[in-house]
Amino acid sequence: MARSVLERYGGFPFLSRVVMAFYDKVLDSDVLAPYFEDVDMRRLIDHQTKFMAFLMGGPASYTNEHLGNVHAHLGIDRPSFDVMVATMQETLEDFEMEEADVATVLHGLHSRAPWIITGPQAAAG
Amino acid sequence: MDLDRFNRLLLESAGVGLALADPETLGIAFANPRFQEWFPALEGPESRLDEVLIGLDVERMRSRLAADRPYRVDLELKANRRALTISVDVKRHVGDGGDLLVVECQNITKLKELEYMVESYSKMVERQNRDLRKEKDRVEKLLLNIMPRTIYEEWKEFGVTAPQRFDRAAVLMLDFVSSTEMDIAADPPALVAELNDIFTSFDRIVEQFGGDRLKTIGDAYMAVCGVPEPGSDDPRNIARIALRIVRYLQRRNAAQAIQWVCRIGINAGPVVGSIIGVQKYVYDIFGPGVGLAARMEALSNPMEITMAEDLYELIRDDVTVRERGEMDVKGFGTKRIYTLEGMSDLAISAHQDW
Repeated sequence: MARSVLERYGGFPFLSRVVMAFYDKVLDSDVLAPYFEDVDMRRLIDHQTKFMAFLMGGPASYTNEHLGNVHAHLGIDRPSFDVMVATMQETLEDFEMEEADVATVLHGLHSRAPWIITGPQAAAG
Repeated sequence: MDLDRFNRLLLESAGVGLALADPETLGIAFANPRFQEWFPALEGPESRLDEVLIGLDVERMRSRLAADRPYRVDLELKANRRALTISVDVKRHVGDGGDLLVVECQNITKLKELEYMVESYSKMVERQNRDLRKEKDRVEKLLLNIMPRTIYEEWKEFGVTAPQRFDRAAVLMLDFVSSTEMDIAADPPALVAELNDIFTSFDRIVEQFGGDRLKTIGDAYMAVCGVPEPGSDDPRNIARIALRIVRYLQRRNAAQAIQWVCRIGINAGPVVGSIIGVQKYVYDIFGPGVGLAARMEALSNPMEITMAEDLYELIRDDVTVRERGEMDVKGFGTKRIYTLEGMSDLAISAHQDW
């Protein structure tokens, strides 16, 4: 069986550094941080850990429905989603992840966009 | 640079939040810039420690300090949109100019975040392990359908199993008489449902006497006693199973429109048991013990159980039979053949018209 992205980069130790860095970048971002102002830190980290692990083929699974529920009340719009994707890309590049693997992760993220973008423009887009 | 100035600079630039407070009034006499940054509620010397550090348990703090122990608490607060976790450590400092409370605050947000992440990840892994265990149980159950447990254990441990010889395995072969011509053949799902029902009942009977269903081929059924673990009563048990199968079908036929008429051959003899196949494997047995059982089935009259002298000699004291005389059995020479009619606890009526 082919090894997942997560396994190839060293599993949890790698994931933990990526998630921490991503979390910092998100909360330092003027565009992204406001979405999470009222979100409990523990919940946010829990979600980011699981979702990131999921995107890298780790031991988590996310149904579209679950993803939709998680983001339903956040009202994320398309531009913010794009900033989030760019932030993710930057983070993965910072950790010297290979281009093809970055593409895999971002592809996974893009394919779930309809369930993450829950803002007012979502229907129009 | 004099020491005072150095100390002041250190105090101002440190990553640690420091404050001094009065042990009685809790009024804050001093706070360094870091402390002020984290606790902006601080407005001057009239601010009290418990007003600034929300979540501080004053009573507990006082009792700890009275016992000459430090008081520690983790406080959650928000600074620049970030949730911070600050670990607060309060100690009593005895000095020349009276006692003071020294309040030391460390930013342990990263530790907390990591803690949450480890928690989240380990839950994920635990869940995955649970799923894997469930899956493993399911696979094991499937494998136990195609091989006996002891063989499965051996196969799991070593990846292979050695073929094994059994000198006196008791074998039962059953086939239905012209079931392909039954009316029900026009309705295949009904045929399968009936067969499923019947074979499930056979399985129960076989299990009851410590046997194993080895396989079914179409409407043929094969069971064995004493493989892979020989028992002292295997020959008698195969006879008991055969009698109960016939009785089950008699009762079923009496109550149902569709008649299932079987032929049964039983035997006890040498066989070899092994897992056959690599990708598609199945546990199977071969040898004269099986061959003779198959010949007996072919010689059997409808709804009768047939055996040769080989098995009869082993169980003659416990069975009632009808002797059919000597017959030439292909591959086995001349054999005396018997029809099993009953045992001490069960007899099947021998003569019925089919």
